[in-house]
Amino acid sequence: MHLACLPRPLFLPLYHFQFTLISSNTTVMASADKSPDPTPLGQSMSVGQHMLDKGAMMLQSLKPVKQFSQHVCSFAIYSHDMSRQIETHHYCSRLNQDFLQCAVYDSDDANARLLGVEYIVSDRIFEDLPDEEKKLWHSHAYEVKMGLLISPRVPEMIAMPELENLAKSYGKFWCTWQADRGDRVPLGAPALMMSLQGVKPGLVRPDLVHQRDAKYHIASDSYKTSRLEIPEPEMISPFADYWKQHGKGFAIDIVDSEMILRAPFP
Amino acid sequence: MSKNSKSKVPGEPTGSGTSLLETATAAIQAFAPVNKIHQHLCAFHFYSHDMTRQVEAHHFCGHQNEEMRQCLIYDSPEANARLIGLEYIVSENLFMTLPDEEKRLWHSHEYEVKSGLLVTPGIPGPIERRDLESVCKTYGKVYHFWQVDKGDCLPLGVPQLMMAFTRDGQVYKELVQNCGKRLGVDHEKERMNREYMKGPEHGIDPLANGGGKGLKTVLREVHLPKNQPPSSATRVFV
Repeated sequence: MHLACLPRPLFLPLYHFQFTLISSNTTVMASADKSPDPTPLGQSMSVGQHMLDKGAMMLQSLKPVKQFSQHVCSFAIYSHDMSRQIETHHYCSRLNQDFLQCAVYDSDDANARLLGVEYIVSDRIFEDLPDEEKKLWHSHAYEVKMGLLISPRVPEMIAMPELENLAKSYGKFWCTWQADRGDRVPLGAPALMMSLQGVKPGLVRPDLVHQRDAKYHIASDSYKTSRLEIPEPEMISPFADYWKQHGKGFAIDIVDSEMILRAPFP
Repeated sequence: MSKNSKSKVPGEPTGSGTSLLETATAAIQAFAPVNKIHQHLCAFHFYSHDMTRQVEAHHFCGHQNEEMRQCLIYDSPEANARLIGLEYIVSENLFMTLPDEEKRLWHSHEYEVKSGLLVTPGIPGPIERRDLESVCKTYGKVYHFWQVDKGDCLPLGVPQLMMAFTRDGQVYKELVQNCGKRLGVDHEKERMNREYMKGPEHGIDPLANGGGKGLKTVLREVHLPKNQPPSSATRVFV
């Protein structure tokens, strides 16, 4: 695309957006008792910004983000507060047979919020991790075999080999936007997430499943039979799904620290 | 100077069966949230407790709305790049609504943009600058999950809060030159072209950029509430 091909009006400053003060009764404070408002704060996109975006998409190769090969929908639980469960949409790209890296969103819409990142490794890679590291990871076998993890729009038979991979894998999921508690902007430190399991407090909330299933016109329950034979890890490390045997979760604190400098800051 | 490591991610090469399957799923499924990512932006971050550890960060960004972008951060612009973190970018207006203790986690972009450190490779200068005029006034919040500069071949440990550069003399010149050569970008020339740009209307908030001080992430164990007892059975099966 050459600059000369673009119609002149595009270069008028359409995209110098006007600042408008957000009204004084809008708040971004996170409150556990506020019901979620799904709209992120902020003006909607101007025509000018859309033009800029389209232009960039045509000129840049964006290779890393063209590598996503799977969309997986499941649920996750906050490790520091296991009463809070969320629906997750993972967009995964594979670096090798044993490693997936996933961008996690709160829906499959174009305006989905980026909730965080999950890394997924095979049991072979997981077993080699130090115990302290394993504590931050969770197993996937339960949610796969119970039909809670799905590959939207992919027929079960086609999805099966990948479901078998996932059933034997472990994940590490950091959530940086706690939209479920009403945060309209990402606040605070990342939260470590855990996976659904077959015992409290890891059992999934039925209403979340119904909601998800209704959207995709499926019945998660029905997958249990077809997935019965999927192999699981022979033994799930006692350090994975740490809460199960230790009754503890994890939280990240951000604390004051000396900064090692090489020049004045700020 | 820290060197970005190119250690291979451990694991077997992707099997042909898996590749075939993933080609199929990619064709069948819709990827709306990630298809919205429209822009590659290259900049540099340092660890919020250690300015001597600096990382080249390739951002792939999409707009949530006019005032907020969300970016996936990779260690290179190539197909086999590692997803090392993410960044949220908000307008000055949105930033001003944040609680004071939250503001410290965010960094300003004025210096990065005006110094030429932050670039959008492949975009012609005049178009690039139109967008960067906006970026110049924004604030960002970055977490990295994979310490590739330490040579980690897997994403180990806890998330790291990152900061952006705020004045001359902080960034390693070699890091920038190395990047410029690979991307075909002249950071110095960009600096000259961007002299006219203005930062936040209200000036850089003194609470941003860690409030001028270091910050560190720490892991803490949390006792789960008594009314949600975990299973204590020995586990071998799910």
